[in-house]
Amino acid sequence: MLTYTLRRIMILIPMLLVISFLVYLGLELTPGDAVEYMIPPDVANTLSREALDELREALGLNKSFLERYWIWLTNVLQGNFGHSTSGGVPISQIFLDRLPATIELSILALFFSTVIGCTLGTISALRRGSASDSLLTVAGMLGVSIPEFFFGLVAILTFALNLAWLPVGGRLLPGYETLWDRLPNLILPALVLSLMMTAGVMRYSRAAMLDALSREYIRTARAKGLPEWRVNFVHGFRTALTPVIVLIGFRLPTLIGGSVIIEQVFQWPGVGNEFVTAVRSQDYPLVMMIALFSVLAMLLASLIIDILTALIDPRVRLE
Amino acid sequence: MKRTLTALALSTALSVGALPALAESANPLSDERVRQAIAYAIDMETIVDTLFEGKAIVADSMIPNGFWKADGLNTYAYDPDKARALLEEANWDEDYVLDVVFYYGDQLTVDLMTVLQSQLADVGMQMTYRKLEGDVVTQLTAVPETGSDTSAVDWDIAYGAKAALVMQEYYNVYMDGHSTYTPTDDQRNELIRRINGTADIDEQRAAFVDFQKLENDALSDIPLYYQQLYIFESDRVDRMGGLYGNAQFNYDWGILDWEIEPDENGKRILYTNKGPIQFFFHPWLNPGLRIGNKVLWDRLLSADGSLVPNGPQLAESWEVSSDGLTVSFDLQDNATWHDGTPVTAEDVSWSIHTALKVPALNGVLSNTFSSIEGAEDYKAGNADSIAGITADGDKLTLQFAVLDPNVLVSFGQFAPMPKHLLGDVNPLEFQQHAYWQNPVGNGPFRIEEVKMNDFARFVPYENYYGGTAKIDEIVAFPSEDNDPNVVKNAAAGRLDYGFTKSVADVQALEAMEHMRVIAADIPYTRSLRMNAYPKQPD
Amino acid sequence: MSTSAALNRRFDKLKALEESGKLKSRGSGRAFRKLLSNRLAVLGLVMFTIILLASVFAPLIAEHDPLRVDLRSRLLPPSAEHWFGTDMTGRDVFARVLYGGRISILVGLGSALLAAVVGVGIGCYTGYKGGWIDTVALRTSEIFMSFPQLILVLMLVAIVGQSLVNLILIFVVTGWGPMYRMARARMLSIREEEFVQALESFGVGSIRIAYKHMLPNALGPIMVNITLTTAMFILAEAGLSFLGLGVPLQIPTWGNILNAAQDLRILQNYWWIWLPVGLVISSFVLAVNFIGDGLRDSTDPTMQG
Repeated sequence: MLTYTLRRIMILIPMLLVISFLVYLGLELTPGDAVEYMIPPDVANTLSREALDELREALGLNKSFLERYWIWLTNVLQGNFGHSTSGGVPISQIFLDRLPATIELSILALFFSTVIGCTLGTISALRRGSASDSLLTVAGMLGVSIPEFFFGLVAILTFALNLAWLPVGGRLLPGYETLWDRLPNLILPALVLSLMMTAGVMRYSRAAMLDALSREYIRTARAKGLPEWRVNFVHGFRTALTPVIVLIGFRLPTLIGGSVIIEQVFQWPGVGNEFVTAVRSQDYPLVMMIALFSVLAMLLASLIIDILTALIDPRVRLE
Repeated sequence: MKRTLTALALSTALSVGALPALAESANPLSDERVRQAIAYAIDMETIVDTLFEGKAIVADSMIPNGFWKADGLNTYAYDPDKARALLEEANWDEDYVLDVVFYYGDQLTVDLMTVLQSQLADVGMQMTYRKLEGDVVTQLTAVPETGSDTSAVDWDIAYGAKAALVMQEYYNVYMDGHSTYTPTDDQRNELIRRINGTADIDEQRAAFVDFQKLENDALSDIPLYYQQLYIFESDRVDRMGGLYGNAQFNYDWGILDWEIEPDENGKRILYTNKGPIQFFFHPWLNPGLRIGNKVLWDRLLSADGSLVPNGPQLAESWEVSSDGLTVSFDLQDNATWHDGTPVTAEDVSWSIHTALKVPALNGVLSNTFSSIEGAEDYKAGNADSIAGITADGDKLTLQFAVLDPNVLVSFGQFAPMPKHLLGDVNPLEFQQHAYWQNPVGNGPFRIEEVKMNDFARFVPYENYYGGTAKIDEIVAFPSEDNDPNVVKNAAAGRLDYGFTKSVADVQALEAMEHMRVIAADIPYTRSLRMNAYPKQPD
Repeated sequence: MSTSAALNRRFDKLKALEESGKLKSRGSGRAFRKLLSNRLAVLGLVMFTIILLASVFAPLIAEHDPLRVDLRSRLLPPSAEHWFGTDMTGRDVFARVLYGGRISILVGLGSALLAAVVGVGIGCYTGYKGGWIDTVALRTSEIFMSFPQLILVLMLVAIVGQSLVNLILIFVVTGWGPMYRMARARMLSIREEEFVQALESFGVGSIRIAYKHMLPNALGPIMVNITLTTAMFILAEAGLSFLGLGVPLQIPTWGNILNAAQDLRILQNYWWIWLPVGLVISSFVLAVNFIGDGLRDSTDPTMQG
C-alpha cells in the first residue's frame, strides 16, 4: 500500500512542475504587464514612458523569461509564494484571507447538494417508474440547464430584493462576523452553487440505491420480515451512500473552480472572486498561484480517492 | 492587433518591445473634412435624449460649459446631408472600414458604439469597434518617434474620457512629444505655452478661447458629451449644509458636521463603497476617488466644490509672492498623525521629493512639482534634493523656476504622507509598501479595523485639529472605481453615500424612495480621439 | 470530472447496471421508464430542431435586422411588430435571439465537435497502439484535466484575448480531455476483441484498423459525449459573457443578450429583454440533455443483443 501511495505521489511532482512551467509560459505570452494595470487609461496620457520603464525594472519585469521562472520556482519551493504585483501583498496572506470564504461556501453547497440530492435520489429509487420519479428526473435535468449566474440574479431579485428574506450579497458586516451571523449571507450563494451538483448526486444516488436494493441481503432482510422503511433506510441507504460519498468528495475541488461566477454574483470575497480580479488586472504571480493551488487541490483529492479505492479494492494496486 | 492562438506561437519569436517594421499608408482621417463629416453624422442630441435618458450634456468643445467656454462655436448639429457632401469633397473611400476602440467594459458603451456604427452607415461610412485588451495604455497612448508623421497606434478613432482637475489638462496632451493622435504643429505648441504660461485669469481665458476655436475646426477630438457626476445619499444622511461638488476629488464637503440616523443599537454609522479590496490606493494618482483618500489624509488647503482653493486645512496660512514664483505655507501647530506624531513641513518636503519619483503621479501634481527650482536636476539624478524647497519646523517655502498656474489647486489635492512611517520606501514600489495595508493618516477619521475585501471601518480621530466628527463610524465596502453592485446594495439599505457616473445606476437609484441623487457638474468630457497623423501603420 | 480511473470504473459499472435495465427490472416500471426516456429524447429532438432551424433560417423568419438601431423605439414591450419587444438601442429582441442562436450554437456544437475530433482522434489511435505514444497522450490529458475547467478557460482567455475564434479554440483545448479518455477506454476494450487480432494477422495498417474498424464500434458513447459537451459549452459561453470575458459584446450571442439582466433595472422592469433568451438557452440545453440521455439508453453496447 505504501509503495502504491509513494508511486502516486512521485507521478504528481513532475506533473506539477510541468504545469507550473506551462502556466508561467502562458502568462508570459499575455500582452501587457502589471504596470499597465496599475495606471488607469484615463490618466495614462500624463505619464512619461521612462517613468513606466523604471517601474517595470523595479518590479523585475525586464529580466528574461527563464530567469524569472527560475527565481519564482526556487522561491515557491522555499515557501515564498511571492507578492501580488498590484498591491505588494504577500500571496500567502491573500490565500489565508480568501480561502475560508471559499471553503465555507463550498462546504455548505456540498452539504445542500448531498442532502437534497440523496433524499431526492432515494425517493426516486424507491418509487421508480412513478410520476414523481419521472418528474424528479426532468427537474434534475432542468437544474443543469439554467445558466448559474442567471439563476443567481433571479434568486437575488426574488429572495433578497422583493421578499427581503436574505441579504443581497457580501460576507461580513462589522459586529456580525461569526459563522452564525453570516449564515444568512451564505444561504443563497450556497444554494445556487449546489444546484448543478444536486442533479448529479441525485442521479448517482438513485442508481446506487437501486443497486443496493437489488442485493441478496436486502432480500434476506425483507424475507426476515423487517419493516419496509428499515430495510430501505438502514440497509439500503447505508450501502448506497458509500460510492456517493466518494463521488461527493471528488467534486469538492471542482467547486473551487465552479464558484468563480457565483462569488462574483454574490460579492463573496473568496478565491474565485480574487482570481477574476487577478485575471482582469494581469496580476501574474497571483493568477499563477491560484491556478496552481486549484490544480494541487484537484490532484490531491484524486490521490486521496485513488488511495481510498485501492484500500477498498486491492486489485487496483496491481495496475 | 487582433490576437489569436497563432499569435501565441509567433510572439515567442518576437522580442518584447521591438516593433516590427511596418508598411505605411495614407490616413484618410488626416483630412479635416472627414473628421468634420463624422461630427455632422453623429446625432448626439438624440443619443443623449434616448440612450442616456437625458443624463448627459451634449458637448461642443472639450472645455466644459461655464467661464472657460468660447462663444460662437460650431455645434456640428446633426446634418447627414452636410456630412455626405463633405465626404464627397474629400473623396471618401466607401470601402474603408474605420477601426474604433474603447476601454470601458459596460453595456452602455457597447450600445453607444452600436448607435455610432449605424449613424455613420447612414452617411456611407463603415466602422467596426472593439474593446482594447491587455496593454491598453500602450495601445491607447503610444507616441510616434520625434519627427515621424506615421502614427504609433493602430486605431482610427478611440472613444474615451478626459477627467480634468484643471482646464490645461484637456489640451496639454497635444504637446510636442506627447501627442498620440494629433500631429504636432507650431500653432498648438504656442497655444499650449499660452494656457500654461500665466496665472492671469483673463490672459488664460483668452488663450483657451483661441485654442477652442482652433480645435472647433480641426477636431483633434470630436467632443461628444459632458458627463455629470451623480452623488447619491440615503434619507438617513443629513449633510447639515455641507456642499455638493466634484466628489471625485477633494473639496470642502463638511464631513465633520454630517449627521446620520442612529441604527437599532444607537450607533450612527455611515455605509459607503469604494473601500479597499487588497490594499489602500495611494492618493497621489487619484487624490480623492476612494473613501480612504477623502477621510484619512488632509491636504494643505481646502477647496470649494469646483476644486478652487478656498481656505486653510493642514496649512493655517499661505502666501504667494506677487510674481507667483514663491509660495510659502505655515502648517497648523497641533496637526498630528493618527499615531500622535506631529505633522511637519519636513513631511511635506519629503512627500514632494518622493512623489516626483513615484511613477503613477497625478499629471497636475507632476506639473506643479516639476516647476519647482531644481526639480528637474533632482529627477535627473543630478541633485540629492530639490533646491527650491525649504522646510523649517512648521514653515514650508517653495521657490518655482517656472510659473505654474495651478500651484494652489495642486495643494488643495496633494496629501502629504508621514515620513516617519514611509521614509524607507523605494518610490518605484510606493504602492507595494506595507503601510497601505493599514495607513496612518492625519485626517478627520482614522482606521479602526480593516478586513480586506470585506469591509473597512473608520472612526473619528479624537485629536483631529479641526474638531471631532459627529458620526460614530464610516463603514466602507470594497469596490473598484466602477462599483457594479451599487444598485443592489442601495436597494438593500447598505449604501448611505457614494457617487457614480453610470447612467443605469442613476436611473435605478432615482426610482428608490429612500435614496436621493444630486447631479454635480464636473470637468469630464467624453470624446472621439481622431487619429489624424498623415500616415498610419498598415 | 477526471483522473480517478478506479472511481470511473466503479461508476461505469454502476451506470452500466442501471442502463442495462438490471436495476430497473420488474414489470411496468422499466417499460414506463424506457418509454419516458424515449419520449423525452423525442421531445428534446423536436425542441433542438426547432431552435436550430429557427436560428439557421433567421433571415427568413425575423423581419428585422438584429443590428438595426432605432433610438426612437427603444425598450418597447412585446407587440405584433416586435414579438419579443426591443432593447436599449431599439433593436428587435426576437431577431437578436434568432441570430444570437447561430453564434451560440456554433460555439457550443462547433467546439464540442472539434473537441471530439481532437480527443477521439488522439484517443483512438494511441489507445489502440499503446506504448510511449499512449503514455504521452495520457499524461498530456492529465495535465489539462487537472485544472478546474473554468480556471483554465479564464487563464487562456487572459492569455489569447477575447474573440469568437479564440473562444472556440479555448473550449477545444479545455474540452478534448474527457473525450480522449472516453475514446481511449473504449479502444482498450475493443482492442482485445477477436476481429482486431484477425485484422492484424492480415497485415492491415494500424491507422486503418484504429479509425476504420475500431472507431465505428465506439461511436455510440462518443455521440453521447458530444451532446453533453455541447450543453456544457453553451452554458459556459453564457457564464463567460457574464464575467465580461466571453464573445466580444458587439456580436449577439445568447450569453451576451442575457447579460443585459445584470443591470438590475432591466431585470426588474424589462423582462422581455432577458426572459425569452433565458428560456431559449435553458430549453436548448435541456433539449440537448434529453437527447444525450436518450442516446445513452439506445446506443450503449450493453443494451444490444
